[in-house]
Amino acid sequence: MQQDKTWGNRIFDFVNHGLLLLIGIVTVIPFIYILAVSFTSPHEVAKGGFILFPKEFSLAAYRYIFSTDTLIRSLGVSVYITVIGTFINLLFTSLMAYPLSRRYLRGRQPILLGVLFTMLFSGGMIPTYFVVKSLHLTDTLWSLMLPTAISAFNLIVLKNFFQAIPDELEDAAKIDGCNDVSVLFRIVLPLSMPAMATFSLFYAVAHWNSFFSAVIYINDSEKWPVQVWLREIVILAQSRIGDTSIEETEIQPLTIRMAVIVFSTIPIMLVYPFLQKHFAKGVMLGSVKG
Amino acid sequence: MKAETAARTRPATRSDKNLLWRDIIKNRWLYIMLIPGMLYFVIFKYIPMYGITMAFQDYTPYKGILGSDWVGFKHFQRFFGEPQFWTLFRNTFLLAIYNIVFFFPLPIVLALMMNEVRRERFKRFVQTLVYVPHFVSWVVVVGVFYMLFTTEGGAINELLYNLTGQKVAFLLEPGWFRTMIVGQSIWKEVGWGTIIFLAALSGVDTQLYEAARIDGANRWRQTWHITLPAIRSTIVILLILRLGNFLDTGFEQIFLMLTPTNRDVGEVFDTYVYTKGLTQAQYSYSAAVGLFKSVVGLALVLGANTMAKKFGEEGVY
Amino acid sequence: MKATKKKAVAVLSTLALVTGLLAGCGSDEGQAAEGGVQNVSIAIAQVGDVPSKGNEIQQKIEAYTNTKLDIQWIPASAYNDKINVMIASSDMPKIVKVQYNPTVTSAMRNDVFWEVGPLLKDYKNLSAQNERFFDNIKVEGKIYGVPVFSDIARATVIYRKDWFEKLNLKVPTTPDEWYETIKTLATSDPDGDGQDNTFGLMLFKKYNEDQYSFTTRLGVSFGAPNKWKVEEDGSFTPEFMTPEYMQVLDLLKRLYDEKLLNQDFAVFDSTEAEKKYDSGVVGIRVGVAQNGKSQQERLSKNNPDGVVDIAGLLGPNGDRVAGQTGNSGILAFPKSTVKSEEELKNLLSFLDKLMDPEMATLLMRGMEDKHYTKVGEDQVEMSDFDAFQREVKPYRDNLPYVEGYNVPKLKDTELGEKGTALAKELAEHAVPNPALTLYSPTYGDRGADLDQVIADAQTKYIMGKIDQSGWEKEIENWGNAGGNKIREEYAEDYKKQAQ
Repeated sequence: MQQDKTWGNRIFDFVNHGLLLLIGIVTVIPFIYILAVSFTSPHEVAKGGFILFPKEFSLAAYRYIFSTDTLIRSLGVSVYITVIGTFINLLFTSLMAYPLSRRYLRGRQPILLGVLFTMLFSGGMIPTYFVVKSLHLTDTLWSLMLPTAISAFNLIVLKNFFQAIPDELEDAAKIDGCNDVSVLFRIVLPLSMPAMATFSLFYAVAHWNSFFSAVIYINDSEKWPVQVWLREIVILAQSRIGDTSIEETEIQPLTIRMAVIVFSTIPIMLVYPFLQKHFAKGVMLGSVKG
Repeated sequence: MKAETAARTRPATRSDKNLLWRDIIKNRWLYIMLIPGMLYFVIFKYIPMYGITMAFQDYTPYKGILGSDWVGFKHFQRFFGEPQFWTLFRNTFLLAIYNIVFFFPLPIVLALMMNEVRRERFKRFVQTLVYVPHFVSWVVVVGVFYMLFTTEGGAINELLYNLTGQKVAFLLEPGWFRTMIVGQSIWKEVGWGTIIFLAALSGVDTQLYEAARIDGANRWRQTWHITLPAIRSTIVILLILRLGNFLDTGFEQIFLMLTPTNRDVGEVFDTYVYTKGLTQAQYSYSAAVGLFKSVVGLALVLGANTMAKKFGEEGVY
Repeated sequence: MKATKKKAVAVLSTLALVTGLLAGCGSDEGQAAEGGVQNVSIAIAQVGDVPSKGNEIQQKIEAYTNTKLDIQWIPASAYNDKINVMIASSDMPKIVKVQYNPTVTSAMRNDVFWEVGPLLKDYKNLSAQNERFFDNIKVEGKIYGVPVFSDIARATVIYRKDWFEKLNLKVPTTPDEWYETIKTLATSDPDGDGQDNTFGLMLFKKYNEDQYSFTTRLGVSFGAPNKWKVEEDGSFTPEFMTPEYMQVLDLLKRLYDEKLLNQDFAVFDSTEAEKKYDSGVVGIRVGVAQNGKSQQERLSKNNPDGVVDIAGLLGPNGDRVAGQTGNSGILAFPKSTVKSEEELKNLLSFLDKLMDPEMATLLMRGMEDKHYTKVGEDQVEMSDFDAFQREVKPYRDNLPYVEGYNVPKLKDTELGEKGTALAKELAEHAVPNPALTLYSPTYGDRGADLDQVIADAQTKYIMGKIDQSGWEKEIENWGNAGGNKIREEYAEDYKKQAQ
């Protein structure tokens, strides 16, 4: 929004921008370090120190990780479950959040309480495993997408976002002959793009990071998402020096571990900038007046 | 309303049931839309709930949950009777409070700061920078903090030494532990936490700001009267939900930061449960501790929700 | 619009269900199938990459042992959880690699796995191995699986030979010698760069925990027991209550006080320590015998003149070294999947065959010309070590093998051969941990806590946060909090097992 060009405002802007920049730098520097190390030669890294820019540039770490195509294939798996999984998430979550956002719906409170309850209490990994197994979902990618179809937290917050939309819009649409489903899809969702963008990001990141469920539910190594492999590389690096339950394991050089981190986080980090345009202001502008 | 209240004080008649049915049919699409989600919760959340009974058994994996012996409140009694209990409680509680007091407001402040930036490019640039640490695992975060704060050549300590001739064992001194933990959390999560507030902020009608400016309001008043109320309900709901996890301190971060010298202030329920549950295979015991935390969380959420509604806010339910 | 959306949801959900159902069918766990080919399903630990399906190594194994292998790789990142889930759901393959931890030992005690002890004598290779391997995996005196053999003892001093020569040092064996050596290394600028930047020794975070504990190893060499000592009267004494172990603590304390030890060792991560060793600023470390060779390789990359050498951590009389468990896991046979004793015997024979010369060579050396070349009558040399690590090591690390048994000698670098020979020698002098297979309910209940308390107390003592009387008080606390009960229970179980 535009502000008057007073001195007070100018100073504020200056300080604000400065602070934000400083915060931005402080938060991102360690990642620059990680990035730099991943592109540095092992020799320079061994000398120690905090590297921000590689003096001896090297792609050795990346060449190592990509030397087999398991990583590439698992990347495909991860992309698949992230895209399809997030779609399932958004569908299920918004379908359920919308009715719960209508204050006049009977039975709303008990249902919400029921949802809240699942946020706090859980039966645990083993009973859930039995459920997944009895549905014959084990060893399939669905075991990574269906048991996490709705996050209770996201559901509740989305419900609140839906509630913020003025009732007049719903009334107007119904007068025009829409039923509830089309109100959701034609009116509410388009107006909730910032919220939808936010939750797609949350869900997508959760899918991208999933590795534990994959190990528990999926036995076929060809179906493992990328995080399972990446964690293996990093874990082997953390084995105790000189003594592991695995004979003579070579400790992975720092460069490889850093390359793993870069590779496992950059793809998902890039999702956010794409979603940022949905955070544009004043989306509801004119919607009520019209 | 009055008719309904009157209706409730006499025995249910056919017309009450008709009213109920009428409402359901009127909103049939809404109920239909609820079906997939409800199915999900029933199948994947409520059916496995029998697992909670583990906390009241002497569970062993091969006997299964249905076959293990029932022991009632034995684990709870043991837990509360542990000499360590109060230390754990104090540590967990203090960290939880610190988190809510110091950590929770910061993403809001940061979001407001970012909201004030007019240049879209700069704003997006900072946003992208600030949420990067969220993706870095705790192992790396702790590693980076080690490099900065160790007394053996850590950047911060070297600086301190040059300025004051003293070094501070940040990583070993119990007095610094909580500060380090909260500091790390802030660094790692503050950027990510702004996202949801930015989403809420983008729902604010910009014309309101225009109108306020014309009326002579400076930016502080605009923030106070327009921006904050717009995200107030988001803040409230997030706070309530946060209370549900009140006693959850996160295991990985603390586990990595524990040392012999700060264990007294650092050991929390989650790390305790890890030692008991995983390394000693005491599933039931750790389930009991988890259940205890959940019950406390539930009480807090219900209480906070009721309070919020008294203030006219939209709660969880 | 609404109709299509509804349809989409319906279709998606049905798709989910149908795909799920279809995926469920098709995988079958057969018994010994037609033609006498045995179906063997195994769940083992993933070690890096997963070999491609139908790869040559697996084919060779299948051909020799007349089996069809169905291998399920379990990532290390969630290994124990996965095993727990498998035990809980009785969803196990015929052979499963487990670790000797409370969940597994309690499962063994409760008859989840077959007992194989009495049957072992029928298998020539398995029964030819050192009894110690099998003793160390006993539960209540019974053997419930085949160990995945690893060295019985391999604690070695790995040191910078060039520095030792320059400063006229010998490998230390007594506490005083250790002190002097470390002091000299730290103060006499062995790398000659004029800077006070060398360490004699560096400690790191977990220096006194688990079977790889530095303090235990050093202590044993000085005469302390390996974790527990059985006294003449049958009672049990923990290592930290022995005077020899105190010598270790006092040594470290002295080094710390005189700033000869890295002051932040309590938070020093082992991977950071690794960096230091590789960059050549540390004079001595204690590690695995075979690591000498790789240490030299890594050091040479950064410091071409550095020379590494190894010596067994054997103490002043050259005859005491800390023994280890001797296994990196146990191959167990779940009763829920292995239905008959006959099937069990077939599986044991499968494992036994893996130690025959042809298979042992395959597992330890790889395939001729692909991974190694013959360089003598009974000697081979690795030609493609990377390929070996990728293709063969995953199998080798999970199946029974013993270096030097039924396999041609490996021509290696001097340090490599020395390491292998040293590991063998150390096995002769290994001091075992008498409590390794004993059962103490109190230890199961709160053992980890108590271990932690004492480990912390040791660190505090070294750092000077508590003094001698403080340390003794900690020991007393340990005793009262359950330590004394553990001692009694071990003594009792020991008596029982000895009968």
